Amino acid sequence: MLRMPEFEVHRPSTAADAVRLRSQLPDAMYVAGGTDLLPNLKHHLHAPKHLVSLARVEGLSGILRAGDGTLRLGATTSLHAIATDEVLRAEVPGLAKAASLVAGPQHRRMGTIGGNVLLDTRCLFYNQSLPWRRALGSCLKSEGTWCHVIGSDKSCVAAQSSDTVPMLVALDASIEVTLPDGSTETIALAGLWTKDGRFERNRNLPPEALLTAVVIPPRAAGHRSTYRKVRARQAIDFPQVGVAVAAGFDGDRLSSLAVVVGAMLPHPKRLDHDDVAGRPLDDALVEHVAERAYKQVRPQPQVHGDPGWRRELARVETRRALRELLPG
Amino acid sequence: MKQVLHLQVNGEDVEVAAPPHWTLLEVLRYGLGLTGSKQGCDKGDCGACTVLVDGEPVLACCTLAAATEGSGIRTVEGLADKGGPSRVQRAFDACGALQCGFCQPGMIVSATALLERNPDPSLAEVKQALSGNLCRCTGYTKIFDAVLAAAKDRVPGMRADGSVPMAYGTPTDGFRYVGARGRKADAIGKATGSAKYTDDLTLPRMAHGRILRSPHAHARIRSIDTSRAEALPGVFAVVTGAEMPHAFCVIPWTPDEHALAVDKVRYVGDGVAAVAAVDEDTADRALALIDVDYEVLDAVLSPTEAEAPGAPLVHDRDWKDRPRQDNVCKEVELAFGDVDGALKDAAVVVDGEWHYSGSTHAAIEPHCALAEWSADGDLTLWSSTQVMHYLHRELARVLDVPEAKIRVVQPVLGGAFGGKSEPFDLEFCAAALARKAGRPVKILYTREEVFYAHRGRHPMDFRFRIAADAQGHVTAVDNDIVLDGGAYHSFGLVTTYYAGQLLPGPIRFGTYRFKSRRVYTNKPCCGPKRGHGSVQPRFPLETALDEVAEKLGLDPIEIRRRNAMRAGEHTVNGQLVPSCGVLGCLDAVEAASGWKQRHGKLPFGRGLGVATSMYISGTAYPIYPNEMPQSGVQILADRSGRLTVFTGTNDIGQGSSGAIAFVVAEETGIHPDQIRVIAGDTDLTPVDLGSYSSRVTYMAGLAAQEAGRAMRDVMVRAAAKHWDTTPSDILVLPGKYLLISDPEKQLDTAHVLRLAEALLGTPVSTGGGYRTRKLGGDYRGGTIGASPAYSATAHVAEVCVDTETGHVKVERIWAAHDCGRALNPVMVEGQIEGSVYMGMSEAVLEDQAFHLGMEKRRAMPGRDRTRGMHIGPNLLDYRIATSLDTPDIDAFVVESVDPGGPYGAKEAGEGPLHPAIPAVANAIWDAVGIRMRTMPFTPERVLAALRAGAAEVA
Ligand SMILES: Cc1cc2nc3c(=O)[nH]c(=O)nc-3n(C[C@H](O)[C@H](O)[C@H](O)COP(=O)(O)OP(=O)(O)OC[C@H]3O[C@@H](n4cnc5c(N)ncnc54)[C@H](O)[C@@H]3O)c2cc1C
Ligand code: SF4
Ligand code: FES
Ligand code: FES
Repeated sequence: MLRMPEFEVHRPSTAADAVRLRSQLPDAMYVAGGTDLLPNLKHHLHAPKHLVSLARVEGLSGILRAGDGTLRLGATTSLHAIATDEVLRAEVPGLAKAASLVAGPQHRRMGTIGGNVLLDTRCLFYNQSLPWRRALGSCLKSEGTWCHVIGSDKSCVAAQSSDTVPMLVALDASIEVTLPDGSTETIALAGLWTKDGRFERNRNLPPEALLTAVVIPPRAAGHRSTYRKVRARQAIDFPQVGVAVAAGFDGDRLSSLAVVVGAMLPHPKRLDHDDVAGRPLDDALVEHVAERAYKQVRPQPQVHGDPGWRRELARVETRRALRELLPG
Repeated sequence: MKQVLHLQVNGEDVEVAAPPHWTLLEVLRYGLGLTGSKQGCDKGDCGACTVLVDGEPVLACCTLAAATEGSGIRTVEGLADKGGPSRVQRAFDACGALQCGFCQPGMIVSATALLERNPDPSLAEVKQALSGNLCRCTGYTKIFDAVLAAAKDRVPGMRADGSVPMAYGTPTDGFRYVGARGRKADAIGKATGSAKYTDDLTLPRMAHGRILRSPHAHARIRSIDTSRAEALPGVFAVVTGAEMPHAFCVIPWTPDEHALAVDKVRYVGDGVAAVAAVDEDTADRALALIDVDYEVLDAVLSPTEAEAPGAPLVHDRDWKDRPRQDNVCKEVELAFGDVDGALKDAAVVVDGEWHYSGSTHAAIEPHCALAEWSADGDLTLWSSTQVMHYLHRELARVLDVPEAKIRVVQPVLGGAFGGKSEPFDLEFCAAALARKAGRPVKILYTREEVFYAHRGRHPMDFRFRIAADAQGHVTAVDNDIVLDGGAYHSFGLVTTYYAGQLLPGPIRFGTYRFKSRRVYTNKPCCGPKRGHGSVQPRFPLETALDEVAEKLGLDPIEIRRRNAMRAGEHTVNGQLVPSCGVLGCLDAVEAASGWKQRHGKLPFGRGLGVATSMYISGTAYPIYPNEMPQSGVQILADRSGRLTVFTGTNDIGQGSSGAIAFVVAEETGIHPDQIRVIAGDTDLTPVDLGSYSSRVTYMAGLAAQEAGRAMRDVMVRAAAKHWDTTPSDILVLPGKYLLISDPEKQLDTAHVLRLAEALLGTPVSTGGGYRTRKLGGDYRGGTIGASPAYSATAHVAEVCVDTETGHVKVERIWAAHDCGRALNPVMVEGQIEGSVYMGMSEAVLEDQAFHLGMEKRRAMPGRDRTRGMHIGPNLLDYRIATSLDTPDIDAFVVESVDPGGPYGAKEAGEGPLHPAIPAVANAIWDAVGIRMRTMPFTPERVLAALRAGAAEVA
């Protein structure tokens, strides 16, 4: 079977111990469900000497709803739990839907929301075995110096490929992290990603930081949300295009709208569009936002699917996502 | 450094020492010997390794074993309770949900988890719950049936004690067992995890082998230095191509391939050197220490590149060691009748270019071989092969060992579809390493290596013309075919012929001409995949026929009826078709799909399409000419009443052992429960040429019938002697022999066997064979494509096209297949469903594609090394349909009763795949008015075609 680098496994029971181990041990990494990390280790994309497993860390898992409507999802809560939780399905249907569309049933039981938020970016030239990459001469994100996707030695456009991230950004979610010095901090998700798809450069976050929870602030009145995913197969596949929308409604008028496109760029892309407050979600507005999706994302051939087609699909799926919000 | 894990596995507390970087799958399989959980991809893409950890179905290959410390784990082995297999396991067996069985431990674990939390799931919930478990054999249809049957406690044939007889249904009128619904010979072992596949075997002192592969699409090897690898502690042996200088090929007179490269590497992934070491980690480390000095050469990646003037030669010399002038591997041109005249006189001509993309088998079991030498220099090789006999021969050639000193054993096989139908480097390397290391060596391909081994469907380019008269009769077909062969010959000359020779029928051609040219390219070698060489040309034929119908204002089913061949006719290229049920197939799918009311009348975006096909039941002649039988079967009787049947066939999941058991049961009256089939062992079983070309039911079936008949004759004589009467006074019934003149007198079959043994005074054993008959057209090449019988198929596909995204959803396929006679309808349906699945997956999803080079602005300065790289040699990037992508499949069995087959039976394993691709294409036309001439029908292509204008050709 495929070999992973030889490492030791640590199973701390507190978040503080986890951060301490991760910071003090040389070449350490966190592992939660392992569904992203283990395939990557089998590809020898990293060579950790130590893995700090989050499986036994107490208090990291579970879904809490505060009185004001704030939702707190523990970092190791499984995607299955998020997809099937009654409260989430009622209050943030788009998030439950996004989680339900990740990978296959087994991955959703193993995979955690923390791991999904911190999922490494993906690329057809990167997520391959070591012999495959060596034959290619590797690439900027792995051992090499050249990006085969855009033809550059400067930046990587590997795609942010998590299904929940666009939705969480649309929900204005933030993450709670414990930093190496033991302090905790809350960071808005929207600002977490950089435009460089390379591992560790992709986020404005020290690699030792432990994500402990995802926090979703109270929703606007009349909240509606949904997520649409384009993929070749109806299970297992990563998104080729992902569109998350969250809106507040006052009767049939919008009070707010957030549309976030995923799987196209190294970061989730929140669309700029006209002010929607007080407007009905009519055809004109739908077309306006859909057109923005087309204009504002320029995918590259970093994942499956012709980039021009994916760009067109961003428009189509944005339109469809918005229509899903209309009652009936 | 190992660490001790404490787990509760299947209810037992266990302690197991394992290195911390092992996955749970490694701990189960290597550490605890629980080989029921399978490995199909080893990185989370297939679900074969699914187990329950604290009640949740997870992928053991992506679970860090150390993180499961203290957990409760249930594997497929633990699902059976004291009363035997669980109801889910029984249901999978009884419903025919298991073919090769390799996906099934994971599937059954997922199904069990579903039923434990939702005892009465809907079909949609079942599909959803199993959507992370890929199955390549069944089309999922019978799996869904099985889960629902288990939920409802309605397992077919289940007795009160929970067991299910081998044959539980009612036989066809006039038969003892034939036609009864029944189980597969070995299915329950697969369902419970006890069946041993090659990688489940381990031997004392066994070393692990690995193969170093070329990083270049084309390069000359200047030198290989293995000294650093040899010096690594834990390495037992290293071999290179120089140690196996004899070229080989499954076709003995075209050897152009070496066990490991000797002078050049010809594709990214070509084998260069192999090591055997104490464990897989050490073997991998050793590979990295082998220094190969390459002189990189320009590569040719398509027939166009390969045939350009001055193109580099993939092979400098041919198999006769003559220098080569070009990259053409094989070229054939045959004409039947005045094609040009017919084209000139036609009422309608459709003329165009089509492209068929390559695809691969993707059996869930990766290839594996295990070799051991005795002190006397006898080799035993266990291998996941579907052609034991040809492997046997080539092993002798490459290893320079007499055939008599080699034993090839085929353990339970996890799917093949043609992908295991020739020798591969791992078999030679395991044997050579084991000889050198003086210990057993196992080599297991990674999933990536399976993609390099390939031998899948050839990409083909067609310039295709079809002509018809005003009534729609096909007067001419003219096809110019270019096959992209990849780096080696494989079955190349056969494929080159098949691409032309198998096309005429069941559609009758007035005249026919084809030119077929197979070209070498620097890519993994193509070969036979389910419907060898003949699936591709059906795509232009059956879609162009629809265009002809449209031009003439004919219904697509009607035009096929007008052209349908009848039993006893010869094809235009001179093949006799003894039976042909295509009209029955068309009737069945026309009625079931509501064609008359719906075709052409559905709302825009939804459509129906039809297509037909015909396929061989074995090739008339063996790969090497000889006078011996192509199939041999022996039967040995035991005093207990049991028969053991020995056959050299390879049960690759298609159920050949079960079919043979049914034949012997039918002949002898002995219940299939009392018949054990021993297959796939060159020391124990008589030669059979193997499981390819859909030959087994027909040829091994006839051999089994002959052996069974001989057994019955002895039994009848013994019974007659016992009752002091003549043999004609004995009636053979299921399970007993009866005296016609005094029907009160009956003997059970076990008793009769004992009488027979007493009568003969020797063990009772009989034999039978299938002998080659003279068949085929009377011209050079006329025997290629000749078969003693041909099956027929018709599909109607219903698709829904998303006109904004281009996605084609295949919603339902009605497939009727004429298999002559269904020996066991469950298995025939399973073959139809699996074929439909594979064809439709190929039609819309799959593409064995390679990087052909970057546009200038993206290419790496210096040399663009993407050229020739596989786009994604894994089961995530190469997408085979999941349970949620698979349409509803309605399988109909049509029985034309072939005059030559066993009870009239002919093939069912490959034919039913063919029409899926053109039927889907024709349905796309009906849905949205575009003609797709390039497959797969990806959303990009479909959307582009839609945009290019409704009626325009894509
Ligand atoms: C075949 C296949 C298909 C897939 N399809 C999809 C898909 O369609 N959509 C999708 O979104 N994902 C998909 N995935 C990826 C993956 O399953 C999910 O993203 C999953 O949620 C990852 O979570 P995990 O807990 O398994 O992450 P892990 O693999 O454990 O971790 C992922 C990364 O995050 C880090 N990490 C994890 N938790 C923390 C934490 N609390 N604090 C700090 N760092 C942390 C790890 O160090 C690692 O770098 C797929 C995976 C496979 C194998
Ligand atoms: S986008 Fe470029 S640099 Fe990034 S992973 Fe892909 S090839 Fe490598
Ligand atoms: S072997 Fe684990 S998912 Fe394929
Ligand atoms: S039975 Fe599912 S892969 Fe063979």
